[in-house]
Amino acid sequence: MTDPRDTSATGFRTRFLPAAAAWAVLVAAVLVAVPLVLAGRLPDPLATHWGPSGRPDGSMSFAAFALFPVVLWVAVAGIGIGVAARARTLVRRAPRAFYCAGLAWAGGLLITTQAFTVAANLDRGDWTRAAGMTWQVAVVVVAPIALGALGWLAGRRGPDASPAPPPAEPVIDLSPGKRPVWVSTATAPWASWLTLVALAAAVVIAAAARSGLIRDGWGAVVPLALTGVVGAVLSSVSVRVVPESLTVSVGPLRWPLRRVRLDRVERAWVEERYPAQVGGWGYRGLPGRATIMIRGGECLVVRYTSGGELGITVDDAAAGAALLNALIARQHPSVER
Amino acid sequence: MLLTLDLNDPRPLHEQVAVAIRRAIEAGDIAPGDRLPPARDLAHALGVNANTVLRSLRDLRDEGLLEFRRGRGVSVLRRPDGRAALRTRARDLLDEAARYGLTAGDVVALITDLSEEMA
Repeated sequence: MTDPRDTSATGFRTRFLPAAAAWAVLVAAVLVAVPLVLAGRLPDPLATHWGPSGRPDGSMSFAAFALFPVVLWVAVAGIGIGVAARARTLVRRAPRAFYCAGLAWAGGLLITTQAFTVAANLDRGDWTRAAGMTWQVAVVVVAPIALGALGWLAGRRGPDASPAPPPAEPVIDLSPGKRPVWVSTATAPWASWLTLVALAAAVVIAAAARSGLIRDGWGAVVPLALTGVVGAVLSSVSVRVVPESLTVSVGPLRWPLRRVRLDRVERAWVEERYPAQVGGWGYRGLPGRATIMIRGGECLVVRYTSGGELGITVDDAAAGAALLNALIARQHPSVER
Repeated sequence: MLLTLDLNDPRPLHEQVAVAIRRAIEAGDIAPGDRLPPARDLAHALGVNANTVLRSLRDLRDEGLLEFRRGRGVSVLRRPDGRAALRTRARDLLDEAARYGLTAGDVVALITDLSEEMA
């Protein structure tokens, strides 16, 4: 690409990736070193869970205790850095800060949890005699959040991509006798695959459980079927603007759908929105400030006369916003009369 | 995709829909390689039967403007050539002329006059 902001992103990446990798290695080193160095002074199994009274009530073998946090961290840090390092995420400040905060918080949580667990078990012959947990719980909650805030501040440093310039306004023929309409969709192929896999697994397990091939299979059928339904709803969104109304519908059945009369719409515009900004996929946020997130990127935002807003990630949003605004401007004189 | 139906057009519905889609392709609202929205979404927005839209899409495919691909829906293959684009606009011109009470012959005479002036 010839976009000048991409060259700065390449330069930024060479600074961002080593810093993120250094944090990942530091946390992993602590998680490995602490149990290994103190192995001789720890019981096996050791206390790893404390009840509401503050007394230990659960244990884990030393090997599992030493291994589990490291494996978890490698997975979390690998996915987190992998996603944050993608060019599209890296050059935008908000999602980058979000991932940095998440990485800092997760690393802090694993280290503080391990540190207090080791301290409570240190030099105790048996896990049932491990020290109690009281004030440490507050530290385990607060310290990672503080680290997360630092990570967020660190992630905010660096470039922030300016939004792409708005495309040229399309010409809209509103003369009498013409009926302009706008139709657009957005699809998420991964959600279609999720639906297919989950529903197929649900059917196979249900058949196997019914024929007696496996026992206790029914417990997995319901969550799998639910996953399939959620995936189906998330797989696509369709937006239609006609001179009377705006209709938003989701899923392959185009249901559920929401239809709004145009006299209830104040105006419309285009924004870039991403899952990291709105908190994931699906219907995100509270009614009145919600986003229907199918895929990151171009998003049609409508503002209602009631003051509420709804964002829908959909292709070709500029044309939809232009038609909505043109139709609203046309009907306004008759509303004010 | 932005489409405009002409409510005074006397032609059959499937032709009107084809004209609207052809115009959107001509105007560059939808470019070669872009996918069209599903036929039933178009039908819903235009207030016509899905089979009507499918018939227009097939006509446009036969014209070589659209491409049907299994599992990938309908996409734009190419923009109409100059002659086809002019044909649509000439049709618009004739419709407008009819509204002023002018016949096709009057329009031809007008164009001949114009071309003589410009020559």
